Amino acid sequence: MGRYLIRRALFLVLVLVIVSLLTFTIFFKLPAGDPARRVAGRVITPETLVAIRHNLGLDKPLWVQYGRFAKGLVPWPGLFLNKQVYFNYANNVPVSEEIYRRLPVTITLAIGASIAWLLIGLPIGIVSAIRRRSLFDRAGMLFALFGVSAPIFWLAYVMLYIFWFKFQQWFGWSLPGSGLPTGESLMQSVLRGRFLLPWFALALSFAAFYTRMVRGNLIETMSEDYIRTARAKGLAERRVVFRHGLRAALTPVVTMFGLDLATLLGGALITETVFNLPGIGQYTYNSVTSSNFPGIMGVTVLASFFIVVANLVVDIVYAFLDPRVRYT
Amino acid sequence: MKAITKTIVVTAIFALAATACGGGGGGGGTGTATPTGGGVEKGGTLKLGLSADVSNAYDPQKEYAALSFEFFRCCLLRTLVQFPGLEADNGGNELGPDIAESLPEESADGLTYTFHLKQGIHYAPPLQDVEVTAQDFVRALMRESDPEASAQGYPFYYSPIQGFDDAAGGSIKGLETPDDYTLVVHLTQPTGDFPFRMSMPATAPIPPNPSDPSAALGVAEGHTKDYGRFLIATGPYMFEGSETMDFSVPADQQTKNPGYVPGRSMTLVRNPSWSDDTVRPAYVDRIEVAIGGTDIDLANKIDAGELDMDLSGVPPAQQIQAWQADPNRQDQIHANPSDGVRYLTMNMAMPPFDDVQVRRAIEYVVDKDALRRTRGGPLFGDLAGHFIPSTLLGGLNSDYDPYASPNGQGDVTKAKAEMAQSVYDTDQDGICDAPECKGVLAITDNQPPYPENNAILVDNLSQIGIELDVKTGDRYTFMYDKCLTPESHAAFCPSIGWFKDYPDALTFGPPTLGSESIGSFDIPLAGATPEQLKGWGYTVTEVPSFDDKFAECSAMALGAERLQCWADADKLIMETAPVVPWLFDKDVDLSGDRIVNYTYDSSAGLASLDHLALVGGGA
Repeated sequence: MGRYLIRRALFLVLVLVIVSLLTFTIFFKLPAGDPARRVAGRVITPETLVAIRHNLGLDKPLWVQYGRFAKGLVPWPGLFLNKQVYFNYANNVPVSEEIYRRLPVTITLAIGASIAWLLIGLPIGIVSAIRRRSLFDRAGMLFALFGVSAPIFWLAYVMLYIFWFKFQQWFGWSLPGSGLPTGESLMQSVLRGRFLLPWFALALSFAAFYTRMVRGNLIETMSEDYIRTARAKGLAERRVVFRHGLRAALTPVVTMFGLDLATLLGGALITETVFNLPGIGQYTYNSVTSSNFPGIMGVTVLASFFIVVANLVVDIVYAFLDPRVRYT
Repeated sequence: MKAITKTIVVTAIFALAATACGGGGGGGGTGTATPTGGGVEKGGTLKLGLSADVSNAYDPQKEYAALSFEFFRCCLLRTLVQFPGLEADNGGNELGPDIAESLPEESADGLTYTFHLKQGIHYAPPLQDVEVTAQDFVRALMRESDPEASAQGYPFYYSPIQGFDDAAGGSIKGLETPDDYTLVVHLTQPTGDFPFRMSMPATAPIPPNPSDPSAALGVAEGHTKDYGRFLIATGPYMFEGSETMDFSVPADQQTKNPGYVPGRSMTLVRNPSWSDDTVRPAYVDRIEVAIGGTDIDLANKIDAGELDMDLSGVPPAQQIQAWQADPNRQDQIHANPSDGVRYLTMNMAMPPFDDVQVRRAIEYVVDKDALRRTRGGPLFGDLAGHFIPSTLLGGLNSDYDPYASPNGQGDVTKAKAEMAQSVYDTDQDGICDAPECKGVLAITDNQPPYPENNAILVDNLSQIGIELDVKTGDRYTFMYDKCLTPESHAAFCPSIGWFKDYPDALTFGPPTLGSESIGSFDIPLAGATPEQLKGWGYTVTEVPSFDDKFAECSAMALGAERLQCWADADKLIMETAPVVPWLFDKDVDLSGDRIVNYTYDSSAGLASLDHLALVGGGA
């Protein structure tokens, strides 16, 4: 296992380097225009552009420019997302300041949504699998179809319209709308329910997917020989399902859960934008629309880091869940 | 010494007359403009929304947009002279003293301006014991002369100050402070609008650092990139938590102002040091700005009463339509001239636009009314018949429209008549038929409503035989990259707008059609020399220039003669036709139910935040 971990750690570094290279290449080689123009502002002279390109290091060879950015990806004090290079073109704020400030919001959103989709998706999937072709199963599959079909940006606006805007008109009371008010801490925002709508909007599509996956896995597992043996031994059906069937059925779910959570930690771009949550996803959107390359590079590598680490973690967890799996 | 008060008053009178004769707001009232009393109660928290943050984190030497200008003027920073934050027809373009006791004294040769400061003006906490002195303004201009500190700003406005261009952040020869309350500015050339330039936020005083008196830039020392995060206010408001800033530690260890979180929020509270200010009524006690959210999200919040106003720009069309249909909301819809113009540009070095007949044909053929409809219709502006807004010309040229067409929908007949005189119309039938008329490169913005505009323009120009090859992309990194770079040979750039920096036509002429702005916003390449044209690969060897006319007008003192000069320059521009102005822009605001005394700041082009009040004082 030790050698396996070392190998995977090196692989993680390799993946991050490749991602950073690709991001750098896409930004500089695709015809997106001159980043110096964004920094130059309204009154641009050739001299201004030359000075800005020099200040930003854009007049250096591409490999030197990449080196400056790559240095900022090393997780070491003074190097990681250093202010000298990772400075937001659009508002003159260090990328590190933005990311560190926004990360707790994204983590809150991701964890809350993941709990929500597990609480919704798993029970529906289990019951649907146990009571196949029942009314509950049909309803569960309809829910799953709706959840995977409804685009998040549409769903988010509909939820805001109904549960915030219309509820206030109908009942004089509503769930909190978008945004986190000034002067309110993150914990206060959570306790005041400001994340409820974003959690459920984000969780719905995942819950739908997990419903279908759990249902399918459990149906398949419950047709295995050892399940028939367990029943033949006289075990209660509940024990058969939850102790024997579910454990095998949920193993792939654990894998998916880790990867999905890691993806969200990189920022739920649409959810955060629609609900005006100041997280990594919103920052990514702002960086892309303002051609803020340091910001784009920072969030891309951050997101890649989460996914690669999550891959490693779920692989290790998988080995514990499934004794047949061993790593060397 | 020559006082300039009279000329300012003359300008204001012309502006008043012009606005009385010309178009006004498109819907609803604009609120009373009484800066004091009038039944307006003080107090409450004003809640504003912004879909996007300012571009330079409130660094006054870097910020160069209406939004930040308004927050500086209304609330955070006082300058030597300032505009009152009122509509143009209510004296909004009339410059008055702010920290200075009066408007500056101007020498007979126009090369020296002397400002006398009021005494006893103090900075906001934590520097409440520090008095504003003349040296603080020198400090601001020193920082403005630093190319890195003033990147994205407007240092070029202060080039007339002796030694400014060579200072690079150091001392400036042309600035003198014979005592703590006197600032003398020596210029290299007469600059009639110089007092206007001293109203801009880049000239706001920067306090010394009490912990480091030797710091040349005071509290801005060590904050070349982020001084806005450590801003010390002089206006009626300050960032909440300003008092916690500590300038006794090195710059990189100083804690940023907690009242402003970039991209998230901004909270302004009353500045306890604020005093002796006849410019700003400052009715509300607190201003909370929520940053972020889509325009629809902000519109819903205004409708729900969670926000009082969205300062982002244009409200969603659905919201405007809903409010226009609501008889109870008519007084909450405000449309005010922003002293800006939207226009199409033609590269005069690129055939067929090197021929003035072709350019004049395009002036006639463009359906300006259709273009305006893509922006939302008459509420969003008046059709432009000339380039420089009449409000900047003291009302002159308000009826001047040399290429008028029925309802502004274009006149194909007159367009063809012009085209028939062009060398590019070989058979003089009014259709451009030379090879240069096909595949004319047009570079445009890809954001609405410009794609709709493109379709209209393609159709319009095709009626006189010009076929456009339209390329679209991001405004800043694509469109500006192509249109502002002479070597790109972009022939037609139609997605352009220009807004004044302060109420003088100088902010329109040289920046858009002066040769010093080639490579910047002189997209038609007016004033380019034959050597320059050859160096950029053009076969055209000569293009018109407006430099002489601009120089003549710029040197004139403020007053009727200067206004007439700029009006003549406007006519010269239209006769030469390097641009097709199509809309004198209006700023449309929807004010929430709690707002009373809505006032428009014509100098910044935004709602006047220090004049806004809340019903019942926000109770």
